[in-house]
Amino acid sequence: MSLNITVNGASRTVNAEPLTPLLHVLREELDVLSPKAGCQNGGCGTCTVLVDGEPRRSCLLPIAAVEGAEIRTVEGLAPPGQLSPLQEAWIHHYAAQCGFCTGGFLMAATAYLENGGSDDHTEIAKALGGHVCRCTGYVKILDAVSAAARGDSFDLTTTAAGLHTTLKGVDQ
Amino acid sequence: MAKHRGRGIAAIEYPTGMNQNGDPSQAWIKLKMDGRVDVFAGTVDIGQGSKTVHSQIVADTLGVPMDWVTMDTSNTDSSAFCMGTFASRGTFIGGNAVRLAAEKVRNRILEIGGELLEIDPGDLEIIDGEVIAKGSPDKKIGVGDIAGAATFVKGELISGQGTALKDYATLDPETGAVTIPPHSAISYAACAVEVEVDEETGDVRVLKMSQVYDVGCAINPTMVEGQIEGGAIQGLGLGLLENCYPYYPSNDHRGGQFGSYLAPSMEDLPELECIILENPSADGPFGAKAIGEMANNAQPPAIATAIYNAVGVWVTELPITPEKVLRALEAKAAGIPESVTTGKVVRYDEALSITSHQSADAVVTFAV
Repeated sequence: MSLNITVNGASRTVNAEPLTPLLHVLREELDVLSPKAGCQNGGCGTCTVLVDGEPRRSCLLPIAAVEGAEIRTVEGLAPPGQLSPLQEAWIHHYAAQCGFCTGGFLMAATAYLENGGSDDHTEIAKALGGHVCRCTGYVKILDAVSAAARGDSFDLTTTAAGLHTTLKGVDQ
Repeated sequence: MAKHRGRGIAAIEYPTGMNQNGDPSQAWIKLKMDGRVDVFAGTVDIGQGSKTVHSQIVADTLGVPMDWVTMDTSNTDSSAFCMGTFASRGTFIGGNAVRLAAEKVRNRILEIGGELLEIDPGDLEIIDGEVIAKGSPDKKIGVGDIAGAATFVKGELISGQGTALKDYATLDPETGAVTIPPHSAISYAACAVEVEVDEETGDVRVLKMSQVYDVGCAINPTMVEGQIEGGAIQGLGLGLLENCYPYYPSNDHRGGQFGSYLAPSMEDLPELECIILENPSADGPFGAKAIGEMANNAQPPAIATAIYNAVGVWVTELPITPEKVLRALEAKAAGIPESVTTGKVVRYDEALSITSHQSADAVVTFAV
């Protein structure tokens, strides 16, 4: 069947079976590659996109259920060549290691911030607790989201250093 | 019934790479005609940041800006050989390979620079992409000019290769004795945790975790922090949550999705304090040792010790689920002798284990 959805502000017509997951339509038909296929069971969060402003797991969402909806992905967070303040915070705080979970975290955190979320770590953890990251231990993700919530500005030529004590030259 | 708090500590040592009997990694570097640097190495970056760290090592060894360096690890066919990204060997062994290759390129740059400046290469240094006479900074030539002269005048491609290779073990044919060279670099770490154990439900929460890691010199401290923090939460998962086969060897209950295989989430994050202790290694590139795999080793024993401190029972099997805590507490209340851990000997307690199917082998003794 033929359906209309809006992806990052552009109206798109797709031909897909009604139960095709939104994730597959985005990645395989529309070449929107920031949502990742992780567990494809709704458990990991890396396929998260915003559907009319709400974070949703695109792997579990039939395309027919989002007809006419406004879909946002990482590609739409900022104009081409630019970064959103959250993305800048992500870079400055080194919140991505392998990067596979990053797209889902960015979209859920964007929704959290757009809904007036604060820099409180417990509140952020509640909002993002359904996303799995195996590399970072979540510490720097929390740092990045709370920095963006505070409206910090960043020098992207450096990373946030000095978060932890470093003792130099014990044997020197 | 109440919640009890306890504290525990564990210390570990961890070898860097296999680091014996060869364990080679190789790198090849060529200088483009404008002075920019192409590095071909087999070490694969799986998110740990080896491309960044190797670029830093090459840039610092050569004396050129880091953005002049391109790491080409696009395939293992045309790249120089590497044993692989495992055993925490990327920075130490792969890093030594790119350092050795870069030293050869540096020497050749200085030799040609010496010819062009008519100065002995020993009196030259390379700073920020320029070959400069020591003590006479107005006498200088850009690395790009040297590479251009090599290409267009001398007819030479400036290149260098390096191999990190550990000595092999030797066999004495008379006595049969094997001598293995000592391990090049051992990293050390300690982890202290504070837990809260619910006597009624068996639930264990890690409230606070403090860790110290001796990684040699941290070539990229932000990335080392990332590995330590990530390892801390993996270790928390290994200690309390994660189990591929809860009823091993039966795989009937294997977790096939994140609803049944429990990985820690952001809400499990304790108050976390990490300290990097820089204790330089003599053999590593710029004093580095390893972080990598050691980062999730110290947390499970620290958690087990803290649980003993809190409620007086040893749980000798990971992960320490509420069921295992409750079985241990019941056994203690019933007067059944508790599991024992005494240094190198672990008595594997079948009565408390929910996974043991090997009754013949109740005592596991590790060679000292």
